[in-house]
Amino acid sequence: MNISKIANLKYFYKHTKNVSKILSFITFSLFIVGIFWGLYIAPKDYLQGDSYRIIYVHVPAAWLSLQVYIVMAVTGFIALVWKIKIMEIISIQSASIGAYFTLIALVTGMIWGKPTWGTYWVWDARLTSELILLFLYIGIIVIYSSFTDKRQGAKIAALLAIVGLINIPIIHYSVEWWNTLHQGPTVTKFEKPSAHITMLMPLLYMLLVFNLYFVTVLIKRVRLGIFQREKNTKWMENYLND
Amino acid sequence: MNSIIFKKEIYTYFRNLNYIFLPLIFFFLVISIFPLVIGPNKSLIAKIIPGIIWITIIFTSLLSSSNFFKDDYNNGIIEMYLTSEKSIEFILFLKIIICWFFTIFPIIIFIPIVSIMFNISLHTLTTIFLTLLLGTPVLVSIGIFGSALTMGISKNNILGPIITVPFYIPVLIFSASAIESVSNGLPYDLQIYVLLSILLLILPTMPYLLKYTLRISINN
Repeated sequence: MNISKIANLKYFYKHTKNVSKILSFITFSLFIVGIFWGLYIAPKDYLQGDSYRIIYVHVPAAWLSLQVYIVMAVTGFIALVWKIKIMEIISIQSASIGAYFTLIALVTGMIWGKPTWGTYWVWDARLTSELILLFLYIGIIVIYSSFTDKRQGAKIAALLAIVGLINIPIIHYSVEWWNTLHQGPTVTKFEKPSAHITMLMPLLYMLLVFNLYFVTVLIKRVRLGIFQREKNTKWMENYLND
Repeated sequence: MNSIIFKKEIYTYFRNLNYIFLPLIFFFLVISIFPLVIGPNKSLIAKIIPGIIWITIIFTSLLSSSNFFKDDYNNGIIEMYLTSEKSIEFILFLKIIICWFFTIFPIIIFIPIVSIMFNISLHTLTTIFLTLLLGTPVLVSIGIFGSALTMGISKNNILGPIITVPFYIPVLIFSASAIESVSNGLPYDLQIYVLLSILLLILPTMPYLLKYTLRISINN
């Protein structure tokens, strides 16, 4: 056991308690502002009416689902190469957050698809690759949870995440290619509405809030992960008793 | 040393012929269940039979590769390989090829019989044959990667397939569309080239990835 690595986890755990509290408060208030901005102040779409407003949840969630995957793979790579414990925890904790974002993106997309396309689901390229992304996330979470030795599980999950990162563009482009070949232009592929600035601003704002939300939840989950891993150590006992 | 391992691997399959015959029987069993489920409509079956063949091949390769390292892991052979001076990459490469040759290749040879049963034209049959030859080694090596990942887990019957199936998607898409193109009378060179490039990318890199995965799985 290397002392400095333990100290690193210890340092992180002790110093992020207040940070996570402050961040949660900030994120929550900014989120309320963003929801109000998106659902009330932003103008109505001339084509889709009010139903387009789900964009303020859907697009940031879809964006984050990919971004979190990159975070997970990069931290997993760092964990494998330099064997930094906290990176393992960050990587595996990002997996569940990313899976939730993917699920939110899929569900809001389906809800949005009903009034826009007339159906909840089409085998569109984007939808299909998002669904496959969800399966990749689930695979990573499941393999981590099946290991009794959590360090080994985190390493294996990180390896799977890295291999998956190489695979995501390949899967995405092959699905896109498959879609154009099989379905042709029957599906009115959803293009981003050539956004007016008054609609775009809340969207970018929500993207920022979602990023902040990710950081907040990640810190909370990493603290939990550290607690689960270090709960039998001396310093954790001392810290909890203080 | 390599020739000894080569012999050992081949004898493993020859001494227990079930390794060779069970996948074959499984393949024929599953493929003959499909008409019972979707009805004896000839034109419908002819339309979807390439997809059925591919799905069945996937299940067969998953079954034969999901416990690929189990025996070697329990016997301690993998530790021996990892600590030996010889390059383990070549051994792993041999193992992949031999596994493919004894479990999947017999099925590919028997595909013409399937084509008689399901009225597949010779032209389509050649394409199915070609896509299977190029695609199945990739499926097998990805399946083996999944089994290396799940090696350290005691009860892992369904975990390996859950992890590996998303990685099969590119191969599946290009094979299916090659068959689709040829049955519509369109050229299918592009799909074959893509399959070939995937094969040439996966086969040399997989042993290195496997070695790294085995190292992580062993070190605990």
